[in-house]
Amino acid sequence: MSLAGRLPPVADPVVHLRGVTKTYRIGREIEVHALQGVDLDIYPTEFVAIMGPSGSGKSTLMNILGCLDAPDGGTYSLAGEDVAKLGDDALAAIRNKHVGFVFQTFNLLPRLNAIENVELPLVYGGDRRQRRERAVGALEAVGLGDRVHHKPSELSGGQQQRVAIARALLNDPAMILADEPTGNLDSRSSAEILAIFQRLNAMGKTVIMVTHEPDVAAHCRRIVRMRDGVVAHDERVASPRNAQDEIAAGIGAGDE
Amino acid sequence: MKLYDSFRSALQSLVVNKLRSALTMLGVIIGVASVIAMVAVGNGASAQVQATILSLGSNLITVSPQFATDQTLRAAGSQAQSLTEADMRSIESQLAGSIKAIEAEQGAGRWQVTAAGTNWNTNVQGVTEEYPAVRDWNLQAGEFFTESEITINAQVAVLGASTATSLFGDADAVGQTIQLRQVFGGGGGANAQRARIINFKVIGVLEPKGTTFGFSRDDQILVPLTTAQKILTGQRDRVNAIVVKALDSDSMATTSDDVFNILLVRHKISDPASADFTVTNQNDTLAALNQVTGTLTLLLGAIGGISLLVGGIGIMNIMLVTVNERTREIGIRKAVGARRRDILAQFLIESVALTGLGGALGILLGWSITQVVERVAAQQNLVLLVTAGTVIVAVGVSVGIGIVFGLYPAMRAARLHPIQALRYE
Repeated sequence: MSLAGRLPPVADPVVHLRGVTKTYRIGREIEVHALQGVDLDIYPTEFVAIMGPSGSGKSTLMNILGCLDAPDGGTYSLAGEDVAKLGDDALAAIRNKHVGFVFQTFNLLPRLNAIENVELPLVYGGDRRQRRERAVGALEAVGLGDRVHHKPSELSGGQQQRVAIARALLNDPAMILADEPTGNLDSRSSAEILAIFQRLNAMGKTVIMVTHEPDVAAHCRRIVRMRDGVVAHDERVASPRNAQDEIAAGIGAGDE
Repeated sequence: MKLYDSFRSALQSLVVNKLRSALTMLGVIIGVASVIAMVAVGNGASAQVQATILSLGSNLITVSPQFATDQTLRAAGSQAQSLTEADMRSIESQLAGSIKAIEAEQGAGRWQVTAAGTNWNTNVQGVTEEYPAVRDWNLQAGEFFTESEITINAQVAVLGASTATSLFGDADAVGQTIQLRQVFGGGGGANAQRARIINFKVIGVLEPKGTTFGFSRDDQILVPLTTAQKILTGQRDRVNAIVVKALDSDSMATTSDDVFNILLVRHKISDPASADFTVTNQNDTLAALNQVTGTLTLLLGAIGGISLLVGGIGIMNIMLVTVNERTREIGIRKAVGARRRDILAQFLIESVALTGLGGALGILLGWSITQVVERVAAQQNLVLLVTAGTVIVAVGVSVGIGIVFGLYPAMRAARLHPIQALRYE
């Protein structure tokens, strides 16, 4: 099932996993082998969906890809840096530099306005110069140039998610990691979010999206299916659906 | 994470929970205020005691007669007071130049005083000519009696300020005559009484000095020592006290040793332990009193400290709640790159801001309390001292409490695992 031969001849992979394992312990007795030897390469400018039923290990894979957790075994290099053995603070620095998170529940800080939320990665690292201007620029890029001083509670779900995407973009990370980004949105907003991802991808951003909805995954250019802690299926999408066209046609993504 | 961001974030979260922040701060405010006020009371009491002692005259060495304590060695008849004016004159001549002033006193008891139709009852004391110099007590009118007036048992008197007012009102007392009268055989009916009346000419009035330990010092009449001895009391050649004013505080120890030795020789006593007098150094008295008031201050400070401790526990409690409530925020911050020390700093700064601000307000409140207490207790002349030291310690302690009681909650926050924190509902 290797895709190596069919991938475009790009340089080094952004994500390079070999034999990655992760075991959780629930209580004293039960061990959950969430990942049982995952091999995965993701190259720059890819738009990948990671799918799988619950318990397949896709959430664990997501956490490890995002450096929120360290693998028990195997190797993981992210943007050329070996991150498998790093401690908490070093992982925090990697997340700050290389990973832009987009979550299902948006995860914005309710007390901060849009600009302050978007600025957050720059508070903890990166180039701090002109951070306000950059935050405003990122918000304009996701179409929220007129909402920069709004608090999350004053924004719709789709708008909140766009703020989260602007935040993910701010440190110019190696990849955007989206965990069910449309899970809490109506179909119209979902289509808008997917359109933003497709546009960013077209501009050269690497986007990895965990989803369980085939309709959402159909917008990606590659689908990785997890089952029982390993990559069970890895395929390119011949002709990904275009979210912008669907919006124009008045059809929300994910409409059954 | 820049310090500026930490402070902004800390202040923001304090402002969001205004009521909670205010209530938590109240604990620290009350704690700091009570430390400030309590220590101020202690310091004030200490200063007042010191001022009172020094108002009796500074750098004083007092010699008092002492009854023999060993009853088997001395018969009852020899327990008489042993100090004389000659003792005083001897010290005066031997230590001339190395002391500032010296005087001897004999209390003459309370007398009925009449003048110009008014009647008064007050204390009369026989003293020698250097009394004003020893007691740092100037005259507001007239003059004090001289050594020659002592020699001739002159019937002259110097009045305390309030005595003069009681007897003469606003009129000038100097030059007036007063009568001291003593009534004998009282209790057997008016006809059984006989009165002794002695005339005195008022030659001076002392400046007012206020009260000492609740007693007015301005209600008294001073007469020459010899006049008191020979005319008023009949106790010739006995004095109740010899008071020496040393040159300065440093020379007091040497001077009191000299006085002691001169009197030992004059009284022909070889064993210092059986001396028939005692020499009291004002410095020793001050030191003893300072120890007492120091302990008092410490005790009051400790009471305030306990409320500060309770305030600190309140801080810890609320910080634990805050960390719990903001678990998700901590997860988000960690996801975008906050390291442990960033989270630790954020929550520590929050608790220090809480206690620091509380401390500052506490100082204001404590100071206001001292102002109110001073107004209310104005008659006690109690001045409450809020010293720079107290303020610095109070601020330091409240910031310290923020760190100590904020550290555990902040560490709990810093140690949260990002995944668990993000999943927290």
